[in-house]
Amino acid sequence: MTIGSAPSIGLARIFAAFLRLGCTAFGGGMAAWLYRDIVLKRRWLDEATFLSDFALGQAIPGSNGIKLTVQIGQRLHGAAGAAVALVGLLVGPFAIVLAIGAAYAGVGEHPILHQILDGVAAAVIGLTFATGLHSLTQSRPGLTTATLAAATVLCVGVLRWPMLPVVAVLAPLGIALALVERRRG
Amino acid sequence: MREGIGDALIALGLVFAPLSLLSFGGGNAVIADIAQQSIAVHHWTSEREFADLFALSRAAPGPGSMLATLIGWKVAGIPGALVATTAYYVPSALLVFGAVRLWGRWRGSLWHAAIERGLAPIAAGLFLSGGIVVLRASPAGWPVWAAAIVTTAALLRWPALHPVPLLLAGAALFGLVAVL
Repeated sequence: MTIGSAPSIGLARIFAAFLRLGCTAFGGGMAAWLYRDIVLKRRWLDEATFLSDFALGQAIPGSNGIKLTVQIGQRLHGAAGAAVALVGLLVGPFAIVLAIGAAYAGVGEHPILHQILDGVAAAVIGLTFATGLHSLTQSRPGLTTATLAAATVLCVGVLRWPMLPVVAVLAPLGIALALVERRRG
Repeated sequence: MREGIGDALIALGLVFAPLSLLSFGGGNAVIADIAQQSIAVHHWTSEREFADLFALSRAAPGPGSMLATLIGWKVAGIPGALVATTAYYVPSALLVFGAVRLWGRWRGSLWHAAIERGLAPIAAGLFLSGGIVVLRASPAGWPVWAAAIVTTAALLRWPALHPVPLLLAGAALFGLVAVL
């Protein structure tokens, strides 16, 4: 048994969970969907493990959804878990996007499609916000936490600075503050 | 068949595998590079086609962008889609896999706990930022902001609510407004 994760979860269950996620996670924002399903609903992983994986993953290139999927699969069932989770996540969208492409090649584009996509996007943004706010209230609320989160939002969300250097500066700061708090407490 | 589908598959792999390793900060970071390679360098798509494929890739569920899959498909059918998808996702997946193994060795140390605790608020900030950046990029303006805020409030008030009905409601509402 490993710290930060449930006792090993079967490959079939991992595959099924990620297959379902891949097919239902519309509109991007995969990390929010993963958090909701794996942490909140299934409780396969704890809050702190998920969030630190997400933040550490920023140092590695690639889609956030893919990185988190590999990390979660690996924590749940080692190398096989990572492979099964990744294939499970991609196989549904792969088929769906090709079906959409084929349909589009036949029909052509329609302006109402853009409106509908906007509506979907709005709901996904809501999901992303709710995830961020929820995880903030979970992770030891306090002045330090709020300040670090606000600084991240200011730099990346408002000023639109690139994520990598922002995380490279704020991450050591956050870790140092956590070490100090721990020594005191 | 056109000269060498094999050549096309190799070209797809050579374009998407390096991009996988350059997409710091998520898949959106390399969309401009994908456009450049597909349109100007390899002439896989026209500008118009690229814009359409991009929009379509966002209509599909799953990780951020299945754009690589669609471009591979356009270039060389199903084999092209498979090669482009694998080339785009697998290198970064292998890197993460290696990183988690290294990380596991530190488990239980003081550092490990401090890193997990110190990074959590930054991750939360990144979630919020992602939402803000997409909102600001949306051409639809305040209706999208309003709908996003309503959805946020609904999900915070009723955390068990499944997001798919909310997505459908958003799609229906915006579609209806467009028709009226």
